[in-house]
Amino acid sequence: MMHEMSMCGLDEKNFYCCCQLLLQQSEQLRDGWSWEAVQGSEEGYLKKTALRSVVIDSSSVWDHEGCGSDSEPHTSCHSQPDQPDEEEEQAAAVASGDTDSIKGDIDDEDEDDGVCAVSEGSSQMLQYEYHILLSCSYSTPVLYFRAFTLEGRSLSLEEVWSSVHPNFRLRLQNSPLNTITLQEHPLLGQPFFMLHPCRTEEFMRPVLQAAQDQHRPVNYVLSWLSVVGPVVGLDVPLQYSTQLHPAPPPSSGKPD
Amino acid sequence: MASETSEAVSSTPDLKLQFAPFSSALEAGFWHQLTQKKLNDYRLDESPKCIKGYYYNGDPLGLPTRLTLEFSAFEVDGPTPARCCPATGTLYNTNTLDAFKTTDKKALLEKEAKEIWDAIHSEAALKDPSILCKFILLTFADLKKYHFYYWFCFPALCFPEGIKLVQQPSALEQVFSAKQIAALQEAYDGMCIKRETTAVPYFLMKYTDDTVQMVPLEDWDMFFTDTKKVTVGVYDPCTLSQHPGWPLRNLLVLLAYRWGSKLDTVEVLCFRDRTLQGSRSIQHSVIFQIKLPALPLNSACPKSVGWEKNPKGAMGPRMVNLSECMDPKRLAESSVDLNLKLMRWRLVPSLDLDKVVSTKCLLLGAGTLGCNVARTLMGWGVRRITFVDNAKISFSNPVRQPLYEFEDCLGGGKSKALAAVERLTKIFPGVNAEGYNMSIPMPGHPVNFSEATLSQAQRDIEQLEKLISEHDVVFLLMDTRESRWLPTVIAASKRKLVVNAALGFDTFVVMRHGLKTPAVSPSVPAGADSSTSCSSASSSSSTPAGSVPAVQGSSLFSNIPGHKLGCYFCNDVVAPGDSTRDRTLDQQCTVSRPGLAMIAGALAVEMMVSILQHSEGGYAVASSSDDRMNEPPTSLGLVPHQIRGFLSRFDNVLPASLAFDKCTACSPIVLDHYEREGFNFLSNVFNSSHSFLEDLTGLTLLHQETQAAEIWDMSDDESI
Repeated sequence: MMHEMSMCGLDEKNFYCCCQLLLQQSEQLRDGWSWEAVQGSEEGYLKKTALRSVVIDSSSVWDHEGCGSDSEPHTSCHSQPDQPDEEEEQAAAVASGDTDSIKGDIDDEDEDDGVCAVSEGSSQMLQYEYHILLSCSYSTPVLYFRAFTLEGRSLSLEEVWSSVHPNFRLRLQNSPLNTITLQEHPLLGQPFFMLHPCRTEEFMRPVLQAAQDQHRPVNYVLSWLSVVGPVVGLDVPLQYSTQLHPAPPPSSGKPD
Repeated sequence: MASETSEAVSSTPDLKLQFAPFSSALEAGFWHQLTQKKLNDYRLDESPKCIKGYYYNGDPLGLPTRLTLEFSAFEVDGPTPARCCPATGTLYNTNTLDAFKTTDKKALLEKEAKEIWDAIHSEAALKDPSILCKFILLTFADLKKYHFYYWFCFPALCFPEGIKLVQQPSALEQVFSAKQIAALQEAYDGMCIKRETTAVPYFLMKYTDDTVQMVPLEDWDMFFTDTKKVTVGVYDPCTLSQHPGWPLRNLLVLLAYRWGSKLDTVEVLCFRDRTLQGSRSIQHSVIFQIKLPALPLNSACPKSVGWEKNPKGAMGPRMVNLSECMDPKRLAESSVDLNLKLMRWRLVPSLDLDKVVSTKCLLLGAGTLGCNVARTLMGWGVRRITFVDNAKISFSNPVRQPLYEFEDCLGGGKSKALAAVERLTKIFPGVNAEGYNMSIPMPGHPVNFSEATLSQAQRDIEQLEKLISEHDVVFLLMDTRESRWLPTVIAASKRKLVVNAALGFDTFVVMRHGLKTPAVSPSVPAGADSSTSCSSASSSSSTPAGSVPAVQGSSLFSNIPGHKLGCYFCNDVVAPGDSTRDRTLDQQCTVSRPGLAMIAGALAVEMMVSILQHSEGGYAVASSSDDRMNEPPTSLGLVPHQIRGFLSRFDNVLPASLAFDKCTACSPIVLDHYEREGFNFLSNVFNSSHSFLEDLTGLTLLHQETQAAEIWDMSDDESI
């Protein structure tokens, strides 16, 4: 079914099939993708959330190897992504003023000794929300995402750009591959960032062509995701293609 | 924070169990949804609402133990994300900041703690142990500023003396064999499948060397016939190796209450289940040996704790400012800018948007042309737009003038300049628009009827001079020829870029006026320092305008530098090579084909943008129709002097022509008189018959263009 896919693009039915296949694999790999249906319609999107601790300095924000076992993610962080304008600081002052006025009625003098000391700095944690939607006009999948602090404050475009790894940033700005822009989420109506699909077809065509030539099944959404995902910190485990593909013909195995 | 490997294995007798508290984690969608709820459902209703969060036990090491609320938090019966445990909560959304501050937090906590305690008493908590993991969320949503104040509480009942550990906690892999671990994982998965869920918050467990059995909490009495050794499992969101997460805390109270008398110690498995790069592991789960403290039967509800500390580590609420991502005005602004940036990223990488966006535009005339120019400027993200017009909106206007509506015509009609500002602000609140309801004095329209009219004219001129000084580009968009004279003179004197658009019935001209080289004499009036870039004007002046190479084509003039280009009054009727057909423009006819104003208005703005993109700005050499095949001088293409359009043929030509040294508006003698004599000179122009200017410049005709055309054609030839 997948390999019969028309070369030119992805229609709704194929998109849905690709998503279902990806979901099955994600379920096996516990990769966290889920299908979010839009109420009262057949439309929907793939969703995944991820939490990462980031190192923030004035010039860049990028992933600290969050999974590496003995990392101390909080040491080199500044308090906030670069945005404390005056108003914000005032507001923060108001909030801390409130703190003083509110805590009166809570007994924190007899401190809860059942709590362990946690050097948690919530502002260094970023939550990422990734959505994969179908763009009908481009007939390609589109990656929507937003990043926000644990307080739920979305990052600005500038902050998001700075959270793109420097290596990628340079490449992105020069390469026609894709570009991050702010758009209203077509199904949720909330502001999201998206990787613009205008060149997706261009870089997917060789992938599809190669697959077709080798009579190899290819999941359009998965292949596409493995290209665009890493740009915005979304990992696509190799196991999707190594473990789970229905045994590929031995000749087509290409070591990369 | 505890380190991973525990070196001190010696079991100190006073080892106390401490729990990692929940950190609240809110997704951006939560605040959007709360806003919707507040606006549409709750309104002023402050009563507690049921909401839902969830927690996860598969985080990589180092992440805080979170209770997450997303946009679906308000659908209590909705699905929980796979492999997450739900937690139900109570939302108290206050109407005022004051109510938020004065809410009795202690009472809220005690109320919730009492409910947990009651559920422990009755068997409710056994049947539905998720009751043990509840939370409170106190909020105040300031929807004017998009500031959200909030405070979470994760109620936990306390043992007065704390909880003692029998020995240091150990990782599952230190206690269990690989076989046992595999059996444990299988038993957990089996239990999940049996209960048609993907996560079980609490369970009971028995194991041998190669088997593991698991059942839900409520099966205690059947499962544990022998209470010598009891193992309880808890789905544990914590990643610390020495501490359990919060969900265990109330479970221990439940155990102590129900079975404390029979149990001395209890073994707790903090079940952690993570998958990295497709490979799953549970061996990092932690096992605690706990000595259960005694809870006296029928005792009152124990002391409770649970309000979350703020980021500073103090007891207090948090505040998040979401105006950036929720205030519609801010969103509109960033969307407008981003839309333009998209153009730069993808199509015209070298486009200098800041130059365009920051350009201050003065629109003289707020009629059909003014409305269309304003809308196109808005499309380009221009923020500063000022209108000058003295007319009121009449019933014929709205269909052609897209900033006005029928309502604006009623009661005599609103002032166009002011109504245009109002509408612009409605279309895009980020615009910085101003309107001036004033007249522009005109040659041949005397102002000397009385002292009053004279001083009014003087004030109008001063105001106009001030406005032209304060702006970067002046658009001439009036419907009479004469009214363009004064701003042409002032702008030429102040070296401001002028873009002029005029309509015939089915023809139009859009042109930039020649931008005079900066005056060298120190006696020039202030304002000569034009803010448009006048970088290398002199360098281009060395190219003689008349050195026409063997360029064939209709244009007599090529490569005219910007400072030698004519103004509207120089060459209104001079259209090289096409002069006979280009003459309908000047007939003072306000009837035109309806599409014309939109076309001309749009072209006027696009011409301005192209000029701004040129490194020499208004001094750029004029492109002509012959340049259409050549390498364009800017990233956006040509920078013509004029665009003349013929709707009957759906055709545009790009003529260029030289400034005329006897021009009634921009010739040196006129500018010199204006700069030296100011109002005296101008009032002479207004009050005299047109022979005054004609005498001054050596022309004899101002309005009769047929004859003038011939004279100008000759003069142009001479000037080469």
